[in-house]
Amino acid sequence: MAEEKAILQLEKISKAFPGVQALSDVSLGLKRGEVRGLVGENGAGKSTLIKIITGAYTRDSGSIRFDGNEIVKNSPIVSKSNGIFAVYQDVMVSPHLSVAENFFLGNQPMVGPFVNWRKMYRESQSFLDDLGIDVDVRRSLRELSLAESEMVTIAKAIWGKPKLVIFDEPTAVLTRNETELLFRIIRDLKDSGIAVIYISHNLEEVFEVCDTITVLKDGAEVGTYTNEELGDVERLIPLMVGRTIEQMYYKESVELGEELLRVESLSGEKFEDINFSVRSGEIVGLFGLIGAGRTEVARAIFGVDSLEKGTITMRGKETKLRSPKDSLRNGLGYLPEDKRSQGIFPQQDIDFNINIINFDKVMKAGLIRYRKAHEQAWDFVDKLSIKISSIYQSIYELSGGNQQKVIIARWLCKNPDVLLFDEPTVGIDVGTKSEIYRLFAEISKQRKGIVLISSYLPELMGLSDRIFVISAGKLAAEVPKEDFSEEHLLRLAMKNVVSSAKFEEAG
Amino acid sequence: MAGRKDRKIFAEKNLVIIVIVMWVFLAIATRGNFSSFANITNLLRQSSINGVVAIGMTLIIITGGIDLSVGSVVGLSGMVYALMVSTRGDIQMATLPAILIALVAAAAVGLVSGIAVNDGKVPPFIATLGMMTLVRGLVMYISGGRMVTGLPLEFRQFSALRILGIPALAWIWIGLVILMLFALKYTKFGRNLYAIGSNKEAARLSGINIRLNMYSFYVLGALLSGIAGLMLATRMSAGVPTGGQTYELDAIAAAVIGGASLSGGSGTVLGTALGAVIIQTMRNGGNLLGADPFIMQMLIGALIVLAVFLDQYLKAKRRAKVTKRGAKEA
Repeated sequence: MAEEKAILQLEKISKAFPGVQALSDVSLGLKRGEVRGLVGENGAGKSTLIKIITGAYTRDSGSIRFDGNEIVKNSPIVSKSNGIFAVYQDVMVSPHLSVAENFFLGNQPMVGPFVNWRKMYRESQSFLDDLGIDVDVRRSLRELSLAESEMVTIAKAIWGKPKLVIFDEPTAVLTRNETELLFRIIRDLKDSGIAVIYISHNLEEVFEVCDTITVLKDGAEVGTYTNEELGDVERLIPLMVGRTIEQMYYKESVELGEELLRVESLSGEKFEDINFSVRSGEIVGLFGLIGAGRTEVARAIFGVDSLEKGTITMRGKETKLRSPKDSLRNGLGYLPEDKRSQGIFPQQDIDFNINIINFDKVMKAGLIRYRKAHEQAWDFVDKLSIKISSIYQSIYELSGGNQQKVIIARWLCKNPDVLLFDEPTVGIDVGTKSEIYRLFAEISKQRKGIVLISSYLPELMGLSDRIFVISAGKLAAEVPKEDFSEEHLLRLAMKNVVSSAKFEEAG
Repeated sequence: MAGRKDRKIFAEKNLVIIVIVMWVFLAIATRGNFSSFANITNLLRQSSINGVVAIGMTLIIITGGIDLSVGSVVGLSGMVYALMVSTRGDIQMATLPAILIALVAAAAVGLVSGIAVNDGKVPPFIATLGMMTLVRGLVMYISGGRMVTGLPLEFRQFSALRILGIPALAWIWIGLVILMLFALKYTKFGRNLYAIGSNKEAARLSGINIRLNMYSFYVLGALLSGIAGLMLATRMSAGVPTGGQTYELDAIAAAVIGGASLSGGSGTVLGTALGAVIIQTMRNGGNLLGADPFIMQMLIGALIVLAVFLDQYLKAKRRAKVTKRGAKEA
């Protein structure tokens, strides 16, 4: 019977936070060697469920059985000693210590009173080598790239001899090769009877690596399905939100007008000879693998980083954009990729976060008229249906999706001719995504231009009028709408990536 | 917009309550001695020099930095002025141009700190620690370590001057508080200060010229210390080489009690002014009650820690309340 093979059995788990029912009666059974995907919109309860399994939160009701034993009082220490390891998005280990030290933290091999460094290095290095992770254990964690430290974190979880490993968005910072390596590691774990819970917004990945998928919605379980039952990844989305993928990429046909932005033979540190243009009403996609130089191109156009050569033409007039300030004045806007570190002003309220580049519109004699500023902020909060109770709420209290909407509100209020969006929907739930897509259509209708940078092909293909593919810092092709296909675009993106080694270099 | 519940919380409310409670308590405990017009105006005058320095400190703290050089700049501007005008010196310049030169000297110190911090990427603590020592050395050097007297009569009398019964020095402080309050709230310069202090990278991407603004903050901060230096010179009727020593600590204390956070992005001029009043009230009130000044010093130290602790505690509580309310609406 399956019961005997069960490693984790959750029964009717409920958890409420002040005023929110985060989970209600969620049951979940996991067998040894099973890889389970956990999907759902932001706020569906995935993280809460994981934190209850790892003991970071205590459940209000329900029971947990792990490895045949009832777990009455759970805590991170209890779950760890039971063999449950979680790899979080941003696990902080000790960044100043070497990889080897992080592996042996608190448990260093000793020779008398001294640490046995040789043994520590040898054992941890051979462990990484066996997994196929190419990292020198003598390096300190902070010297590693994001992807390398993610792989090391994963290795550390496995190092602890787990019975259950939980991955929470593990591939966000990984390149394609590393993702494949991770999937291989997960399959090895499965073969040795270790259970895996895998959480990701990237449904294709979930579909690829998992045996079974549990869908959560509003804190309740929608159902658990085997891959065969689902058959196709697109059937997951309606389960999560009740809308199909075609409806999501909302696009109206807009007659294209004059050319708003043209960049010619743009070269910088990580890219060379980039050419493209945007017409009014047009959405131009920029596609490339992570590290291909898309963000660098956008930053250089906006005047954040310096250009080695090339010209930028706005509305037929060549302009020198040496700083973001110049760009703003010339009708260009840029929404950065990492909104938390580059977009929001965390200590300030929503009003400030929207108005900071828009005070000009409400100034008189050099002074800000706050009544108008507040009206302006409310206007865009309403227009974007941002769910807040007051514009004096701190932006820090909002969810990632709402924070992103506030930043979009900031720029829509500014109303530049061309907006550069860098990965606008990363880490945002499906519902908010579709609202953002509608905003894009709205912007196009107002005869503005959009440059959309995205790694997510369905999104890019659904929204763009043309896609420019950048491969290893060079323009690979301009693809018109008729020729959009995932295969074709991916092949172009890898065109200049001869070997993975070279790709790493370019990244 | 009508019907919206978007009343902004008055951040300094708690400080105002603390001041009122302290004053009422002291008025009763000292049988009205504390609350006499003479004592209250005296208290304002005593707060005024630290109060002006603390405005500048608040600017720098909002940027996420700290300015340890303010005390030395107080000493510098007073000394430069005294050397320019002293009837015993060789220059014997008129008061107004001398004031101008003193303020330029102060501003120059701020510019150097600003360049070191912004372009040299020297942490503000280190940059201004260096400037504090350097400028104090400079003050000692130009004065030969001696007090410089012989200031013009009108200048010496200024500290005793009262307008509407309130000391002129207090008026300068109150005027600067109102001016800076207004500037930080109603000008782009002020908004840029909070933007840069909250997230420098986001500010840069919002088209804010970081370099120019950082220079301005440090120059303005030093300028305010320069003004405080002149205020000190009129009270002492001299340029004092050790003038302003340890003023940076009182200024930091006032800003922190007033709600400024050393991680940047928050703090207000009004909060800092109230912080300065609270510190001076403890000194003045303790004195009237006959408390040991050393004990008062201990209490002020405890207050600094308590203020930050309370601030953190209330913030956490407010955050929990907001989540609750948001959840109810959902």
